[in-house]
Amino acid sequence: MKHLTPANARAKAMDEALEAEAAAPAEGSAEEVLAMNALVGCTTSFDPGWEIDAFGGVANLCQPMEADLYGCADPCWWPAQVPDTMTTYPNWTENAPASEADWRQLQSVFPRLKG
Amino acid sequence: MSRTAPALWSTCAALALALPALAMEPQEILDRVCTTCHAPRADGSLPRIDDGRRTPEGWDMTLVRMMRNHGVRLSGEERAAMVRHLADTRGLSVAETEGWRYILEQEPVSVDLAPTQDLAEMCARCHSFARVALQRRTREDWAHMIHFHLGQYPTLEYQALARDRDWWGLAMSEVLDFLAGTYGLGDAPAPVAADLSGAWSVAGRMPGRGDYAGTMHVMAEGAGYEVHLDMGFADGSHAHFDGQGLVYGAGEWRATLSDGETEIRQVMALGADGALSGRWFDAESDVIGARMLAAREDAAPRILGISPGHLRLGEAAEVTLTGVGLSGAPVLPEGVSAELVSESATQVVLRVTAGEEAAVGPVTLGLGDLAAPLVLYDRLDRIAVVPEVTISRVGGNDGPIAKVPAQFEVLGYLNGPDGEPGTEDDILVGHFPADWSTENFDEVAAAMEDARFAGVIDGTGRFTPGDAGPNPERPMMTNNAGNLWVVARLEQAGEVLEGRAQLYATVQRFVDPPIR
Repeated sequence: MKHLTPANARAKAMDEALEAEAAAPAEGSAEEVLAMNALVGCTTSFDPGWEIDAFGGVANLCQPMEADLYGCADPCWWPAQVPDTMTTYPNWTENAPASEADWRQLQSVFPRLKG
Repeated sequence: MSRTAPALWSTCAALALALPALAMEPQEILDRVCTTCHAPRADGSLPRIDDGRRTPEGWDMTLVRMMRNHGVRLSGEERAAMVRHLADTRGLSVAETEGWRYILEQEPVSVDLAPTQDLAEMCARCHSFARVALQRRTREDWAHMIHFHLGQYPTLEYQALARDRDWWGLAMSEVLDFLAGTYGLGDAPAPVAADLSGAWSVAGRMPGRGDYAGTMHVMAEGAGYEVHLDMGFADGSHAHFDGQGLVYGAGEWRATLSDGETEIRQVMALGADGALSGRWFDAESDVIGARMLAAREDAAPRILGISPGHLRLGEAAEVTLTGVGLSGAPVLPEGVSAELVSESATQVVLRVTAGEEAAVGPVTLGLGDLAAPLVLYDRLDRIAVVPEVTISRVGGNDGPIAKVPAQFEVLGYLNGPDGEPGTEDDILVGHFPADWSTENFDEVAAAMEDARFAGVIDGTGRFTPGDAGPNPERPMMTNNAGNLWVVARLEQAGEVLEGRAQLYATVQRFVDPPIR
């Protein structure tokens, strides 16, 4: 890695996390990320993460998430958080062709049981 | 990318759609609708349906999937009746749900730990492990469930923590062995036969609002109950909710109540001792709610709650004991005196004074043969903010998904006999009010001005997140997400105690089933 220079903030954060991990494995990023695994309701697929990013923050999420939301929905990337249009909710995006502009048309999908 | 449903579903869906949408009884729905795909075996059992047991919420999620992806048409009434029938006949015992009930209760301050790292990575990567642990299946059905996952969510093999291993091999060997061995089908428990009608004494504490106590009147009505809930809070406020409740299967109490403005949902378990315990929450904002313990007034005497549960040396306070069958004289710890203010079988109020010379630490406040814990303290050694880490979610802004707030509280501690903070002998004194603020968690958060955009915290410790949607005022139009310190400060005799927690103010979830 010594011949490569981080080209953006995310790459720089990755470098720093790897260095921290190498210097002090017990205190490195992997342990911190593991702690987040236990927060109920959040996905722990951190590539790049839905609620929380791989570095234990939110700055390295895809943001605004609306810009790449269909990149999550189409390939079924966080199916417990984002309706997958691949198989389960094929019509979820039909009223929102441009998610950045039409995000208010994107509904929560589970119909609440009455009674 | 194809958005056409796989052809293999079409036969089942067409058959289901062809059926008339008449109101049917659950057994009729099983016989006429479900069997179009779940053809009975030679012994009459229904594949998949008779191979698993679940909570009411688990069955509801199964039914919704059948409706959504397999064309089953059920009215709201039929869906509710089916949930009840399946939960009554193919449910879990309360004991089988112990340790995982937080997911049913929508308890926001929960840690969801899978039994092993492999299972955390296999199952709890997308959803809670509790969702898994609240199911029972035959080995064959667990295998079907794994096949289903890969068919329904095919890219899960390509995500981190899957693409780096023989995911399928692992899923169908070690994971399947664990699931079948730990959560095998077993036998469905018998439904509760008891009538829960009567007056119930209730007690609990609502984070951000404080202790409460009151009465829940339950009256049998049809196959369920009419419910009236009265709660008096320690801050002097009151709440009254009316609605309907029912018991699913072996003791899953669910009720939906309203005060005319807010609808609340009760999720409680009927314990072996006859008490109901669980949580109620705002149906539209489940972070907002409270734990509740309830005992019917004809039950064996017990104390359900004491408020306040702590008393400073040299001070006097009205201490309320809530319970059932309360009687007898107060039994006071050394250095503590009390006068009786009022008494009934469900509530005893004492004016309690802790002498300057009383020993600090946990003591017992007795009433006849019963006792409740009380903590005496002089000054707090430290405070902590709970939850230590949690999330909120953006919402609103004319979008369809409401904001998900976060509720914080302050716990006060004594260092205990060793005088060291953060050790096992620390003494939890109780909850305390504080002044609340937020700060940027780190340099990245400061650069993005997270504390400015992500939301605001009020005087009760409730954080209200920012609006949903891209924010043109932020770099790259980023969402109102943020990584924050939540800071509590409490003044105590001229010194300021400080506690901190981390808050991820993050984005919405668009899939929000009753078991996350």
